[in-house]
Amino acid sequence: MSRTIRCWLVTLVVAGLGLVGAGGTAHAAPPHEARAKSTTTTSPKVSGEITVAAAASLTDAFTKLKTDFEKANPGTTVTVNFGGSSALVNQIQGGAPVDVFASADGANMQKVVNGKQVTAEPTAFVTNLLAIVVKPGNPKGVKSLSDLAKLDVVSLCAPPQPCGTYADQILTQAGVSIPTDHITRGADVKSTLSAVTTGDADAAIVYVTDAKAAGSMATTVLIPAWQNAFAIYPIAPVAASGNSDLADAWISYTTSAAGQKTLQSFGFLPPPPVE
Amino acid sequence: MPLVAVLLALVAVAFFALPLIGLLRQVPWRDLWDDLNEPAARDAIRLSVECSLWSTFFSLLFGVPLAYVLARARFPGRAFVRALVVLPMVLPPVVGGVALLYAFRRTDGLVGGLIYDVFHYQFTFSKWGVVLAETFVAMPFLVITAEAGFRSMDRRYEDAAASLGAGRWTVFRRVTVPMVAPALIAGAALAWARALGEFGATITFAGNIQGRTQTTPLAVYLLLEGNQDVAIALSLVLLAVSIVVLVSLRDHWFGGLRDAER
Repeated sequence: MSRTIRCWLVTLVVAGLGLVGAGGTAHAAPPHEARAKSTTTTSPKVSGEITVAAAASLTDAFTKLKTDFEKANPGTTVTVNFGGSSALVNQIQGGAPVDVFASADGANMQKVVNGKQVTAEPTAFVTNLLAIVVKPGNPKGVKSLSDLAKLDVVSLCAPPQPCGTYADQILTQAGVSIPTDHITRGADVKSTLSAVTTGDADAAIVYVTDAKAAGSMATTVLIPAWQNAFAIYPIAPVAASGNSDLADAWISYTTSAAGQKTLQSFGFLPPPPVE
Repeated sequence: MPLVAVLLALVAVAFFALPLIGLLRQVPWRDLWDDLNEPAARDAIRLSVECSLWSTFFSLLFGVPLAYVLARARFPGRAFVRALVVLPMVLPPVVGGVALLYAFRRTDGLVGGLIYDVFHYQFTFSKWGVVLAETFVAMPFLVITAEAGFRSMDRRYEDAAASLGAGRWTVFRRVTVPMVAPALIAGAALAWARALGEFGATITFAGNIQGRTQTTPLAVYLLLEGNQDVAIALSLVLLAVSIVVLVSLRDHWFGGLRDAER
C-alpha cells in the first residue's frame, strides 16, 4: 500500500519536473527571436541589470515603461525601487546600489548633485500638476483650495517629500492655512492618497497622475493652473553605477517618443521645452 | 564547546550589538535636550506616553478577565478564541491597521459608520484611534502572560477562601488577583512597551497628525528625512525606555534561566 503511494508520488514529482522543464523552454523561446530582431533596430546594444530609484508617483508609469524597455532590449533587467524622493536620496547617499535616480522635484535631485552622487547633468523628462482628491461624489462639496481649511482631516505628504513641498507651497500661495491638527502627513504620495481612498480623510493634495490612478476610489477637484505648482521631474545616472551604458539607455528611453507616449498615457505632461 | 558554535554565537552577538552602536554613534549628544524640546518631538512624546498608558489600562480592563476565562472556563471553541486573541502578535501590524480600518472607519466600516451615526465619534485620525490600534497589538501580550499566571497558581488558596465563606467576586479580588500580581505586572509592562513602539497599525489606522496621532515611532520615521537629529534623539528615548522595561522585567523573565544555571 505504502509502496504504491510512494511510486505514485515519485511519478507525480517526475511528471511535475517534466512540465516545469517544458514550460521553461517554451517561455525561453520568444526572447531569442526578439533579440535577433532588435539587434538590427536598436543601437547601441545594451545588456545586464540596473536598478532605478524612482519617485512613488512614477509607480504605475515606470512599471509599464520597464516592461516595454525590457521587451525592446532583450537581455536587460530593470529593477525599479519606488519611494518618496527624499527617502530615495537618503538611500543613495547611504550607498544603496542604484544606477538611475528619478526625482519628483529639483530640490531632492540637487541634494545628490551637491553630494556628487550624480555627476552627469540631470534631464527633465516629465511635468506633473497637483490636484485635490476627495471622497467619491465629493460629499463635502470641496470646490477650491480654500475649502480645505474647513475640513476635518486633510492628507498631505510630509516635506521634504516633493509632494509635501509642492502642497505646502500651493496652500501658502493661496493664503490657505489648514490647522496642523487637521493635517495627516503621508510618507509618500501613495500613502497620502490612500488616506482618502481607504481611510476617512476628507481630502488630499496629490499629483494629477495619482488622482487619475485612483479611478472611482476618489473624485478629483482640479486646482487652476495659476494656483498650481508645476512639478518638474529630473532623471540622472548615479555616479556609482556599474552599468552606465544601460543607465543611459533607460534615461534616453524616458525621453524618447515611445517612452513619452507611455508616460503621457498615465497623465504626465511633457517636460518644459528649454533644452 | 565546539569552536564553530562559539564563532556563530559571536556573529549573532555582533548582529545585535552593531545596530545599537550605529545608533548611539549618531546621537547628537550636545543638542539632545534642544532636539527633544522641538514642538514635534514634545508632541510625539506626550502623545506616546498618554496613548500607551491608556492602551495598557484597557488591556488590563479587558485582558485580565479574558485571561481568567481562558485559563479557567471550559467551553467549546476555547482554542479558537485563544488563537484569535494571540493572532495580533504574529499578524504584521500594518495588516492589523488595514483590518481595523475596514471595521472602524466611518465610511463603509463594519461598525465605524454605526458608531459615527449614534455617538458622532470617529476613531480614525483621532487620539482614541491610536489607543485602539495600540490596544489591538498590545493586549495579547498581557493576555498570554496573565493566562499563564492564572494556570500556574495554586488553586487551593481559592478553595480555602471559598470554604471560609468568601463569595466568588471576593475570592477573585482578594486571593486570585494578588497571587498572580507578578504575572499581571509583567504582562502589563510588556503590553505597555509594545503599545509604545506601535507603528504599522497606528499609521495605517489613525494617520499621522502632529499632536493628535503622531506618536514617537511615527515621528521618528517621518523626521528621518526632515530633521534627522530629532529623529535620532527620539529613537534614543525609545531605546532607553526599552532598556528600563527589560531591566525591570529581568527577574520575571530570566529568573527561570538563572535557576537553571545553578
